[in-house]
Amino acid sequence: MAACHTGPKRVLVTGGSGLVGRAIQHVINEEGGGKEGEEWIFLSSKDADLMNKEETQAVFQKHKPTHVIHLAAMVGGLFKNMRVNLDFWRNNIYINDNVLQAAHEVDAVKVVSCLSTCIFPDKTTYPIDETMIHNGPPHKSNFGYSYAKRMIDVHNRAYFEQNGRSYTSVIPTNVFGPHDNFNIEDGHVLPGLIHKAYIAQKEGKPLVVWGSGTPRRQFIYSLDLARLVLWVLRDYNEVEPIILSVGEEEEVSIKEAAKAVVRALDFKGEVVYDTDKSDGQFKKTASNAKLMRYLPNFAFTPFEKAMKDTCDWFVANYDNARK
Amino acid sequence: MASQSGSGPMRVLVTGGSGLIGKAIEHVVMKDGEKREGEHWIFLSSKDANLMDLEQTRAVFEKHRPTHVIHLAAKVGGLYLHMRENLYFLRDNLRINDNVLQTAHAMGVTKVVSCLSSCIFPDKTTYPIDETMIHNGPPHESNYGYSHAKRMIDVQNRAYFGQYGHRYTAVIPTNVFGPHDNFNEDEGHVLTAIMNKTYKAKRDNTTLNVWGSGKPLRQFIFSMDIGRLMVWVLREYDEVNPIILSVGEEDEVSIQEAVEMIAEALEFKGQIHYDTSLSDGQLKKTANNAKLRRYLPDFTFTPLREGIKLTCDWFVKNYEHART
Repeated sequence: MAACHTGPKRVLVTGGSGLVGRAIQHVINEEGGGKEGEEWIFLSSKDADLMNKEETQAVFQKHKPTHVIHLAAMVGGLFKNMRVNLDFWRNNIYINDNVLQAAHEVDAVKVVSCLSTCIFPDKTTYPIDETMIHNGPPHKSNFGYSYAKRMIDVHNRAYFEQNGRSYTSVIPTNVFGPHDNFNIEDGHVLPGLIHKAYIAQKEGKPLVVWGSGTPRRQFIYSLDLARLVLWVLRDYNEVEPIILSVGEEEEVSIKEAAKAVVRALDFKGEVVYDTDKSDGQFKKTASNAKLMRYLPNFAFTPFEKAMKDTCDWFVANYDNARK
Repeated sequence: MASQSGSGPMRVLVTGGSGLIGKAIEHVVMKDGEKREGEHWIFLSSKDANLMDLEQTRAVFEKHRPTHVIHLAAKVGGLYLHMRENLYFLRDNLRINDNVLQTAHAMGVTKVVSCLSSCIFPDKTTYPIDETMIHNGPPHESNYGYSHAKRMIDVQNRAYFGQYGHRYTAVIPTNVFGPHDNFNEDEGHVLTAIMNKTYKAKRDNTTLNVWGSGKPLRQFIFSMDIGRLMVWVLREYDEVNPIILSVGEEDEVSIQEAVEMIAEALEFKGQIHYDTSLSDGQLKKTANNAKLRRYLPDFTFTPLREGIKLTCDWFVKNYEHART
């Protein structure tokens, strides 16, 4: 059944070069987040195409991890999801099945996968909590991605029941930070706004925000998320997922987020809202009560500071940032 | 994207063609005159291709070049097998379905009709269940692996429609039974497993042991009726949203009533014992066939007693090579 792992960990991080992967790297390398004797391997798509079963098996056989943090996925913002729901569905189903099965075959004792609050039922009461994931269809805009991610939770339960594996998952709300995808068409809302404001500043034009600005989101800084994922890897023993988010009271509108971007970049121009463009889901308010029961003293980075650090990073790294 | 627009006769590929429903469609098409001039019907079995393997799936599609597909192949089983192997039911069915749907898409197949089941609906629900409710909550615990995998066919159909305009759709039968079924006592579905047990109990002069209390309720549909309806769906049903294929709510019976019909059909006169220590599975799954009735108000279902008699007669006659 479950291998009781007492030796040092060898942790494989898929999607290691992405937003969350880079944040974990930072915490391990710069903040002393690693422990004595641990080995950390950060994979990117250059190391293996995880949509391909053979390549996935090969990279797992090569590293033989005892633990896996599975972040790799096909991801994107609202507008990309709306265009290619099928691809989001198929590619993520393959990646997740390949990774979980490969982990099982090398006897990895724990896999922490990454879900998202955008996968919850569209018609729901608020706040959303961990028990509600499968309680109804997700929002239409990204149903492909949502169902594929939900299937991770189903897989985890099945691996536990059939093989005793403690494979689990985390559910972050909207993550942002350095090393994000700042592409305006395909990225998520905050990096998209940051990039647009940067260009608008350079060109002396208004900042055009897509949508009405009224939808509400809980934003979590990538470094906070990384610290929490490490805690989940070490100390969270449930198969049921856990929401990793700031509290409900920290929810902000897109308009407020745009203003924070304006302050952080010292943007002097006009801000306009293109209401012809889709808003996506109006709200996805998640409860972090379960997290707070486990870690009542966890301190999140204040939003203004996280925004400033992210904008500073973007300006300093504009040439190599993903956009 | 090459798309045959249906101006010529259909070439229909039926995956899972040797199974319960496949054989029924074959009978309806080849023996009952449903086949039309110039049409080509190919019934695949696992001998022809392992649909869990993408290369084999592609090869068999390339060989037959279908314009239409009826996709019945799946890893299936009764209650007790599901409870033991949810992971395999999840993974294997996701793989089969993706291989078939993606290959159909890649080869420009005009229409795919896949097969869901009323057992995949939410466990906590109001009754009767209808087609709009599939994703409204978690499925029953006993077969969640299978249920989620089957639900994903509907997700995938919608995604193919949204991204490419394909009208791939699905049917949702309730409990199907008939000749060529799986009569295995451990792995078959309820009616046929009980037919097998009754046959043996009569032969060996023992008690008929029925698992569970006999109280759960089911709508049983005879495989030939499903066969006829599926041919209609293939030809005439244009929605991407799925359609329930079932007898009406008023024809729901308890397992006990069905057992008694089986005993009568096989002329079993011995003792019947209900082992209440074993799981009943879901107590009911009552489905609404109003959508089907709107399309086909005059369709006549084979009465249950008659369907059971025909199936028992087939089983007795074909005992040596039936799947037991």
